[in-house]
Amino acid sequence: MNYMRHIMALVQKDIVAELRTKEMLNSMVLFVLLTMVVFNFAFGSGSAMEAVSSGLLWVAFMFAAILGLNRVFVHEKDEGCLDGLMLCPMDRSAIYFSKAISNFVFLTLVELIAFPVFTIFFVQKSFLSHLWFLIIILLLSNVGISAVGTLLSAVSINTKARDLMLPILFLPVIVPILVAAVKSTELVLTASAIDVQKFETDMIVWLRTLAIYDIIFVLVGFLTFEYVVEE
Amino acid sequence: MREGFVKRILGIASFVGIFASLYMAFFYAPLDKNLGVVQKIFYIHFPVAIVPYIAFFVVFVTSILYLKTRDGKWSKIAYASVEVGLVIDTALLVTGTIFDKPTWGVWWVWEPRLTTSLIMWLLYAGYLMLHFSVDEIEKRSRLTAVYGIVAFISVPISFMSIRWWRTAHPLLITPKGIALDTPMWVTTLVFLVSMTFLYAYLLRQRVNVINLQEEIQDLKDEVEG
Repeated sequence: MNYMRHIMALVQKDIVAELRTKEMLNSMVLFVLLTMVVFNFAFGSGSAMEAVSSGLLWVAFMFAAILGLNRVFVHEKDEGCLDGLMLCPMDRSAIYFSKAISNFVFLTLVELIAFPVFTIFFVQKSFLSHLWFLIIILLLSNVGISAVGTLLSAVSINTKARDLMLPILFLPVIVPILVAAVKSTELVLTASAIDVQKFETDMIVWLRTLAIYDIIFVLVGFLTFEYVVEE
Repeated sequence: MREGFVKRILGIASFVGIFASLYMAFFYAPLDKNLGVVQKIFYIHFPVAIVPYIAFFVVFVTSILYLKTRDGKWSKIAYASVEVGLVIDTALLVTGTIFDKPTWGVWWVWEPRLTTSLIMWLLYAGYLMLHFSVDEIEKRSRLTAVYGIVAFISVPISFMSIRWWRTAHPLLITPKGIALDTPMWVTTLVFLVSMTFLYAYLLRQRVNVINLQEEIQDLKDEVEG
């Protein structure tokens, strides 16, 4: 039980610190919005946009996630806070989980703000009947992104290149999440066009992919994180 | 003495093996009915597809061993295996695109097998980037070991991609057996074994070079005091 208390205390610390400045949240939200605008110019509006909209959404979310992930350990490292955390009498993996959870919270917040704007800009059809699927997709993807991202963010902060390193390490690893998220979001956004049976079988395949990936990477992160942060 | 002997055996085996397989590919294996002479590139395409899997599996295992034992030997093998594996993987992508053009009519198709292979290449290229961006040997070994474990996820995905999804890429090894004529299959197998020898040979040589580099560095440090 102590383990959970440690994690929650660290998450609280991160959230309080972020809410004082809102530095990361603001830049992530603005970044997502800017990406949408840029994509709109790049692809033009109309039918072409409709076809690529779920891809656009997830590319924007991925880049915003990288923006946030890059900041996770920067403060900790620069102010020597990470050393302090390592000296705390607790399991190192508690640091990993707390960072992953606060990442998850921030990413979800950004998506909560950005997604309605996205639907106003790019989605004409109503998908409210499938809103629950969408929420599950977002949550499962965020778990995967945070699990992998936190681990690799800790790896990249320890290199000379620092924040340059993260996208190179993170993007190829996250591709399965990106594929599953894009495909399942596309299913939701075009749901009315296809029959229910196919929708459900396809949806289950993608959700299962996301869930399996999440489990693997939460485990990998949990098992390997301590080797990354040790000095 | 024994070191040198194993090395020589591996070197000779891969040299003779690859020439023998090339000979078999052109003179022993029959001409493909549909594809004609174009199909000959398959004999090199298949081995260079399988050997990177072996190489990256070696990376995965040695990375775990390094984190468990902290023996620098393992991280050297892991790094050398990434380097050699990536070169052979590049050969895979190159022979693949050459093979695609006459058979599919295009150089590249975004289908699961090709895409996952490319992602695998990018992951291990990222591994090298990571390796070069950390100077301290101990820290570098730790970080790359963690990434070596993470990156390995791409190997089963790439391997299974043509089994999980319908793709244009042909499937050779199925539960029902092997979808090739016997002479073709024997040639492929000989090529695969020779290519594995070549990998083992290059891996050994690369680890030797790393060891020598380290020795020189130590001597330099000693001289400079």
